[in-house]
Amino acid sequence: MDKKQSDHDMNLRGTLVSVFFVGIVIVAMWVAVYLMYVAR
Amino acid sequence: MIAQPERKIALWHLGVAYTAFLIGTLMGVLQVFIRNDALQLPAWLDYYQILTAHGVLLALIYTTFFIFAFFITGMSKSLGSFGPKVRLFSWIGLWVTLLGTVMATVMIIAGEASVLYTFYAPLKANGFYYVGLALVIVGTWISSFALVGHYMVWRRNNKGQLSPLFAFMTITTIVLWIIACLGVVATVLFQYIPWAFGWTDTINVELSRSLFWYFGHPLVYFWLLPAYIAWYTIVPKLLGVKVFSDSLARLAFVLFILFSIPVGFHHQLTEPGISNFWKFLQVVLTFMVIVPSLMTAFSMFATFEISGRKKGGTGLFGWFKKLPWRDVRFTSIFIAMAFFIPGGAGGIINASFQLNEVVHNTLWIVGHFHITVGTPVAMTFMGLTFWLIPYLTGRRFTKRMQRLGFVQIITWSIGMLLMSTAQHVLGLMGAPRRTAYSGYNDHPQAMEWFEGIISNHVTMAIGGTILFLSAMILMYIVIMTMFVSPKAETPEQMVEFPLAESDMSNTPKWLENWWIWIGIAAALIVIAYAIPLTEMIQHAPPGSKGFITW
Repeated sequence: MDKKQSDHDMNLRGTLVSVFFVGIVIVAMWVAVYLMYVAR
Repeated sequence: MIAQPERKIALWHLGVAYTAFLIGTLMGVLQVFIRNDALQLPAWLDYYQILTAHGVLLALIYTTFFIFAFFITGMSKSLGSFGPKVRLFSWIGLWVTLLGTVMATVMIIAGEASVLYTFYAPLKANGFYYVGLALVIVGTWISSFALVGHYMVWRRNNKGQLSPLFAFMTITTIVLWIIACLGVVATVLFQYIPWAFGWTDTINVELSRSLFWYFGHPLVYFWLLPAYIAWYTIVPKLLGVKVFSDSLARLAFVLFILFSIPVGFHHQLTEPGISNFWKFLQVVLTFMVIVPSLMTAFSMFATFEISGRKKGGTGLFGWFKKLPWRDVRFTSIFIAMAFFIPGGAGGIINASFQLNEVVHNTLWIVGHFHITVGTPVAMTFMGLTFWLIPYLTGRRFTKRMQRLGFVQIITWSIGMLLMSTAQHVLGLMGAPRRTAYSGYNDHPQAMEWFEGIISNHVTMAIGGTILFLSAMILMYIVIMTMFVSPKAETPEQMVEFPLAESDMSNTPKWLENWWIWIGIAAALIVIAYAIPLTEMIQHAPPGSKGFITW
C-alpha cells in the first residue's frame, strides 16, 4: 500500500516534458530527411 | 571488493581493450587527415588497411573485451565469487579471443585483409583473417558460457528467486549475443573460409551479406546493452536512488532479445535479391526495437527527476540542477545519453525503407555510428573505466584524475560534435563513405559539398584531432589508475562498485523464464528469415570469385 501511495505521489512532470522533447527531436529529424527525399 | 582471481581476469580484459583502443584511435586520426588530403601514407600502408584496423579494433575488439571485463566484475559482485571452473573457462575465453584478435590484426597489418570490419564479399581477405574472426567469436562464447554457468549455479542455490538485475541483464545480453553469432559463424565457417583458402571457387554474395547482417544488427545491441546496464543499474546509485522500475528494466531487456535480431535486412534495403515484402517486414520489426529504447529514455528521465526532487529541486526542471554534475562518473554517462537522442533518431531514419536511399552508403552513416557506438556506448564505457579500473586495482581515483576525466569527456564531446555533424551534413548532400581521399575530378557538384563551414573536411579533421587528444588523455588515466596512482589505504579512498538497489517485490517471475523469450525470438527469426534465406540459396545467381582490390 505504501509503495502504491508513493508511486502516485511521484511528481514526474519534468519526465513527461523531457520524453516529449525526445519525441520532437525524432519527428523533426525524420521530417527533415523526408522532405529532402521528396524534393530530390 | 570482488575476489582477487576475478579482478585479475577483468583487468586483463581491460588491458587488451585499451591496447586495441590506443591503436584503433590512432588509425582514426590518420583517416581524417588522409580524407582531407593533408597526409599521404607511405607506400607500404594503405587507407583501407587503416580503415579496417580502425573498425575491427574499436568496434569489435575494444567493445568486446571491455564488455566482458564489466560483466565479469559485475557478475562476481552481484552473484558472488566464481567457482574454479568458471574462472578457468573465463581465462580460456580470454586467451582464445585474444588469439583470434592477434591473428586478424596481423593479417590486417600484413596487408592481407583490407576488407573493412564488415568484410563484404566478394572482397577476399587471407583465410587466416576469417579464422581469426571465428576464434574471436568462439572465445566470446567460452567466456559467455562461463558466466552462464555461474548464473546457473546461483539459480540452483536460490530456487524460485529472481536474479539480481545486473545478472539478469548480463544473461540477456549473452543470450542475444549467442543467437546473433549463429549467422556470422555460419557464413564464416561455410562460405568465407572454404572460399578464402581456395577450397571453393565462388561465394554466394547475397547470402553472405544477409548472414552477416543477421549478426551485424544485434551486434549493435551487444555494444549498447552493457551501456544500458550501466544506465539502469549504476546511474541510480550515483544519484542516490533505487532503480526506477525493476519490471520495466527487465521487460525492456527481453524485448531486445525479441526485436534486435530479425531486422538485419534494414542494412540491405538497397540490395537486389531480397523482395520488398521481406525488407518491409524487417523494417516493421526494426521499429518495434524503438519501444525498449524509449522505455529506457523514460526510465532515465524519471530516475533523474526523482533524484533531483529528493534533493530539493522544484518546478518543472528544478531537479535538473540538482544532479551530481561534479561527479565525472555521472556526467560522462549523462553526455553519452544525450548523444543517443540524435543518434537514435538517425537510426530511425536509416531504417525507414525509402528514406534509407537518402543516406545509404554516405558519410551520414559514419556520423551515425560515431554518435551511437562512438559516443553513447564508448563514453559510457569511459565513465565506467574511471571507477572500474581503480576498483579492480585497489588504487585511488585522485582529484587530479577526476579533473582530467572531465577534460577527457568534454574534449571527446566537442570533437565528436564537430566530426559527426560534418559527416551527417556531408552525407545528406551525397558524400560517400568507405572511400579514401578523392578530388572527384573537380566536379562542381562534389566540390559544393565541401564548401560549408560544417560540411568540410577540415571540420572533420579538427574534430578527429580533438578526439584523438581526448583518447590519449583517457589512455593516461587508464595507465595511471592501472599501474601508478597511489593505493587506497582508508575506506574513504577505496573506489566502490556503484550498484543500485532494485526493488523486485512487484516483478513478475515470467520475466526471467528464458524459454519464453528464446522461443518467441526463434519464432520471429524463422518468420523473418527462413523464406528469404531459402530463396537466396535455391535461386542463387552464379557465385562470385574473390576480388583483392588493394
